[in-house]
Amino acid sequence: MRPDRVIAVAKFELLSVVKRWSYLITTFGLPLFLALISGTVLGAQTYFLTQRAAESSSFGLIDEANVVDQSVFEDDGGARVWKVNAIEVELYASLDAAKDDLEAGRIRALYVVEPDYLKTGEVRAVQSDKTPLLSMRGTTVEPVLRSLLRRSLMVDRLDEDVQERVLAPANFVRTRLTPGGDDVVSIDETIDLLVRTTVPLFLGVLLLTALLSASGYLVQTVSTDKESKIVEVLLASVTPEEILAGKLFGLGAAGLVQFAVWSSMVIFVALSASAALASVVAIPWQAIGVAPVLFVLGYLFMGSLMLATAALGANAAESQKLTLGWAMLAVLPLMVMVILLDEPHGFLGQLMTWIPFTSPLTVILRLAVDSAGIAWWEVIGSMLVLILSTWVAIRIGARLFRVGFLLTGSRPSLAELWRQAR
Amino acid sequence: MPVPAIVTVTVIWSLAASPDRLPLVAILAFRGVSKRFGGQVALDGVTLEVSQGEVFGLMGPNGAGKTTLIRIGLDILRADEGEVSLFAAPLDRTTLDRTAYLPEERGVYRRAKVRELLSYLGRLKGLKSANAREAAAHWLGRVGLSHVAEQRVESLSKGMTQKVQIAACLMSDPELCVLDEPFSGLDPVNVALVKDLIEERRASGLTTLLSTHLMHQVEALCDRVALIHRGRVVVYGDLEEIRRRYSPHEVVVWTSMDLVELGVDAIRDANGSWRVSLPHAETAAGYLNELIRSGVLIDRYEPLVARMDDIFVNLVSGGAE
Repeated sequence: MRPDRVIAVAKFELLSVVKRWSYLITTFGLPLFLALISGTVLGAQTYFLTQRAAESSSFGLIDEANVVDQSVFEDDGGARVWKVNAIEVELYASLDAAKDDLEAGRIRALYVVEPDYLKTGEVRAVQSDKTPLLSMRGTTVEPVLRSLLRRSLMVDRLDEDVQERVLAPANFVRTRLTPGGDDVVSIDETIDLLVRTTVPLFLGVLLLTALLSASGYLVQTVSTDKESKIVEVLLASVTPEEILAGKLFGLGAAGLVQFAVWSSMVIFVALSASAALASVVAIPWQAIGVAPVLFVLGYLFMGSLMLATAALGANAAESQKLTLGWAMLAVLPLMVMVILLDEPHGFLGQLMTWIPFTSPLTVILRLAVDSAGIAWWEVIGSMLVLILSTWVAIRIGARLFRVGFLLTGSRPSLAELWRQAR
Repeated sequence: MPVPAIVTVTVIWSLAASPDRLPLVAILAFRGVSKRFGGQVALDGVTLEVSQGEVFGLMGPNGAGKTTLIRIGLDILRADEGEVSLFAAPLDRTTLDRTAYLPEERGVYRRAKVRELLSYLGRLKGLKSANAREAAAHWLGRVGLSHVAEQRVESLSKGMTQKVQIAACLMSDPELCVLDEPFSGLDPVNVALVKDLIEERRASGLTTLLSTHLMHQVEALCDRVALIHRGRVVVYGDLEEIRRRYSPHEVVVWTSMDLVELGVDAIRDANGSWRVSLPHAETAAGYLNELIRSGVLIDRYEPLVARMDDIFVNLVSGGAE
């Protein structure tokens, strides 16, 4: 292969793709659009929260059942007030005084513990007719009032410890054995959920989307060459291997840019959206670090197969159909994602690590879920298998590419393809 | 009988190939080349050479194997049997840089700009970026398309696109240029332009392999030809020699006298000329002398030379079975 020809093909293909509106929109427009949507939603939330914070956070309470533990209320300028977090609950003696304050906007809502509360559990919530409809339910005070009522019902009836356990019956502490079997790793439930599902899933989907997107460009470019009949001119100047390599590198670079932009945006959003989360969530940096390498290797492997089979199609639609099988194989790890997340280093995970079609996504998932469970030689070994497979795929792909590229009319049988590709 | 005076005698006489058209060095040579596609024989033991500095005509009916032969000669396809040499060496990518190809099925990137497309194709032929841009500008000027350099190919007419492709083919100044039906889709002005470019190449000592169905273009341009039929070479050699070989043993005589009355075995053509079958073993020159000695007043005298159209039709419609 002559590097100058490969570079010439790669440069032409890269520029052809990156100048397309569809590529620009997908690569830069889509993330910007999503950022815009996220920004708008976050901005709106912030606005409404600020508005709510500016509103009165005082509430009224009338205890007609005489069950509320009044020891928590303190004198505040003649009124009996319970302050918890940013909420103030004022205990009223008469309904009329409370209604006056509600009408005047001094309290946002009035809660009346009905006389037959012990039998019915009813607490009447009264709000002004000026209160917006959407804020009629689920105010932050209601959990506080529930807690107060629960505590009031237990006072002098149960020990304080028992009271605490009634209020918080179980605080789950999750642990998991390390592969060595002797250490115990403590995992917070929330973090566990995030690390074990969201992050790997997202990384995997991102990798797969970028892989299939770049491969899609390859199918498109082969179809264009065949349909425009320029293929003979190309083959009279450069070898099929040089065309194949040039297209792989050029469009791979376009795919890599896309992958980098998407990943950067995701990491940026994740880190900036929740600095607190980032400080406690173990971001799978190993998986993120290995992802570009696996993307490149996976892309070269899938790409060379896709190029060869796409060349056998008479047009873009037929080429898409022919390459669908490869895409399905690449998606396989997503189909068994539940098993992989549950047992990342089980038989299936280990097997799929060594199959070149599935290894990029599987290795990423295993690393992201539990990097300690996958041996370094498995990661390196899967890459070597991928490199070897890519080399074979390019060799066979280039021959099929030459045959397929020049094919017109009916598609030959597999035996005929094999004979000509030898 | 008085000896008549000869008023005018025009003799068109080109039976022998001129010395400057003699083949020199084989640029592209096929020796016993065969190719099969499945059970179908595309080429069957083809042997022929294209020589330096000539315009070589490759003829044959549709499906005869011309394109397959060209593809094998340019390493696009591989032969099942036989040898191919280019510039006196086995096929090699380096030597292929000295060739260019205009396929019959024209192909361009329709969304690319004309200048970009030419520069790219030049780069594929090994030109440096700057040289490719320079050559693109030069050849666009040669084919009269400088004004469309920044336009997309899809905005050009069919004829203009065809000229862009011809420019792309010639821009690397290839020592061997393979043109498959280069005149299709061109108006007479542009046909003349392409013919001029081919003639220029010959004058510069560059070789052109011309595949065409237009026999009058073959007669006008080619030094040597090969006719392929059903994968085999049925005629191969010097154009004039072939025409002579397949010509009837006849001459055409323009005279105001009645040759039949003079006892000559002749037939009067619609245009007033006489078509005379030469006696066996008689040459056209010898028979001319005999007519003059017999007192025939001759205005014009021509040996009848077969047209390539006729040779083609005769051989393809059964003569070469």
